[in-house]
Amino acid sequence: MKSDIFAKLHEAMIEYNEENVKKLVLQSIDEGINPLETLDVLTKSISLIGDMFQNGKLWLPDLMLAAKCMESGMEPLKNEILSRGLSLKAKGKIIIGTVFGDLHSIGKGMVATLLSANGFEVIDLGVNVEAKTFIEATEKYKPNILAMSALLTTTAPEMEKVIDNLKKEGIRSSLKIIVGGGPITQDFADNIGADGYEPTAVLAVNLVKRLLNIN
Amino acid sequence: MSRKGFIRKFPPFNILSQEEVEQIKKASVDILKETGMKIEHNEALKMLEKNDCIVDYERKVAKFPEGLINECLKRCPSSFRVKARDPKNDLIFGGNTVYFKSSPGMHIVDPRTGEHRDATKQEYIDAVRVLDALENHDWFSCYTPYFGYMGVPEVMKMTMGFIMNIKYSTKFSGLCFANYNWEYNFRIAKVAGCEILCPGFMVSSPLTLSEFAVEAGFKTLEYGFPVGVDTGSVMGATAPATIAGAIAEFNAELIGGIVLAQLKSPYCRVYVWGFPNPLNMMNGAPYFGNIANALFNVANNQIWRDYGIPCRNTASVYTSSKLIDYQNGIERAVPAILSAISGASSIHLYGGVYGEIAHSPIQSILDDDLAGMIGRFIEGINVNDETIALDLIHQVGIVPGHFLDKKHTYQWWQNEQYVQKCADLLTYPEWEKEGKKDCIYYAEEKMKKILTEHEVSIKLSNEQEEEIKSIVKELHNFYIKRGDLKD
Repeated sequence: MKSDIFAKLHEAMIEYNEENVKKLVLQSIDEGINPLETLDVLTKSISLIGDMFQNGKLWLPDLMLAAKCMESGMEPLKNEILSRGLSLKAKGKIIIGTVFGDLHSIGKGMVATLLSANGFEVIDLGVNVEAKTFIEATEKYKPNILAMSALLTTTAPEMEKVIDNLKKEGIRSSLKIIVGGGPITQDFADNIGADGYEPTAVLAVNLVKRLLNIN
Repeated sequence: MSRKGFIRKFPPFNILSQEEVEQIKKASVDILKETGMKIEHNEALKMLEKNDCIVDYERKVAKFPEGLINECLKRCPSSFRVKARDPKNDLIFGGNTVYFKSSPGMHIVDPRTGEHRDATKQEYIDAVRVLDALENHDWFSCYTPYFGYMGVPEVMKMTMGFIMNIKYSTKFSGLCFANYNWEYNFRIAKVAGCEILCPGFMVSSPLTLSEFAVEAGFKTLEYGFPVGVDTGSVMGATAPATIAGAIAEFNAELIGGIVLAQLKSPYCRVYVWGFPNPLNMMNGAPYFGNIANALFNVANNQIWRDYGIPCRNTASVYTSSKLIDYQNGIERAVPAILSAISGASSIHLYGGVYGEIAHSPIQSILDDDLAGMIGRFIEGINVNDETIALDLIHQVGIVPGHFLDKKHTYQWWQNEQYVQKCADLLTYPEWEKEGKKDCIYYAEEKMKKILTEHEVSIKLSNEQEEEIKSIVKELHNFYIKRGDLKD
């Protein structure tokens, strides 16, 4: 029964039971339930967890495990949505990566995960991403936002290089650029011509929403 | 001739049993044997393969045999000298000596409000001069006091800052590599007549050495300088959340760097350190000042003493406080003293406020007192006939006898106490009468005095300055060619 599956799915989400989330999503597909309704359950569950995190009632590991559960359910769900000819409209497209010379992935990964969980399409270029790779990806995917991360003071200047190259290619104005990471500050972001900076992954999601005028 | 530092008089504090030490050491070896390390440097991979490592060139992963690990650990000297610009400031790492060093900050911070911003060149120089003058500050961290100063392009900041350090101080200095600046930095150090200690093999946790990091390590060794091997694991993020697991991984990473260093340049001087912070589960930032950090350091100091390789405690005294306040005080003092009694060879302490975000010379001055207190503590208690003073106790006898007018008191009290230079030590009525001054006020007064009176012990000659200028010009041109600078 649909309501039973949805209740169990919600329960699996808030218990961070990845295996059960996937199993229940597959069951919902087998039983012919509209995948957009199942998606709604996942979205509401992760929003609840996100709210509790923001209110200081949950911690980052809760959020990350919930996001993993969401991802595990999203994979089969996406295929089902597409095979039924339904549309899964992302809130926006974001390219994200850690700049050249920097192998730090956790902060960038957290932002990518939270953005995905919030309904954005995220193209993660990984770590140690050269300026030219950011430019090529921007040309290819035409994102709404380019997000760059750096944990080292020594690699942060790479961000300016990427922005300068986007200007040279004449595509800077086609997107918003956000930056983050340990050594980054608002002043630094302003100086290199980025559109936004936030110090934490959760605030980065809010920043993206602000820049794209999403409530 | 060298800096004295503080000599720990008593056996170091051990938090682990020897069996636990062995268990963690074995885990580090197992990590290197089974998972190995990603090393994004072909020459290094070939060198490792030649020395019996199993190398997967496609994944750039090397797995290390135990025999090689043990051999390379044995090659590391247990004690070694590093050369400062003034020989009296040379350091001898190892043994029971504990040195205190400064901590960098991206910005200068207002000691009262916590507001921070880029430092001007003059502020940079002032902070260097303060550190040069402070009695218990032994050496400069990489990019200390600030990551650079206003008016200098980002890519040039570390080198330009380092030049200010050698110009206004003769104390030994660390230096971080950035944007392939190593050769220029080494040449500048050679012109100044000193060595520098750089994090050559700087591991990206978990278990990865970038091409840049390996290249930096190799270049350091080519120049004959001591090499730093460091990592920056975050418990719960890039390492297990458990302290034992995090140490096992952290040490596997350091040993990976040591193997590369000792294969490239056998018996080279290696200094290990790292930034073991737990993750702040509220926001994903490192959790500076968490007691887990001190537990990590105390246990790891014991393990590195067992390896016989000097180990510095770096993130031990970072604080989450943005101010010079109570939180800042406890978060730096507790781990610092624990590091000192457990056998750290040097301790990161002076000037840092909130991780590496900010530095303050006022904080440095206050930290000089903290270092003095800790140093006095580890120098321990002299127990002999003279200090027990049995004859004197008999002589003074009962009330109204006292010790204040005795020569013994005059001779010994300053040896036994450490009198802070910038603490409020007044009685309450005196404090009220003097305008209710606090330690920050006293530190500000001391800073004014230092800046008025202190002179660097050896100035750079005109020839040295000219040579350095020409190296800077070369570096500038190098960055223009690389596209890092516009003109």
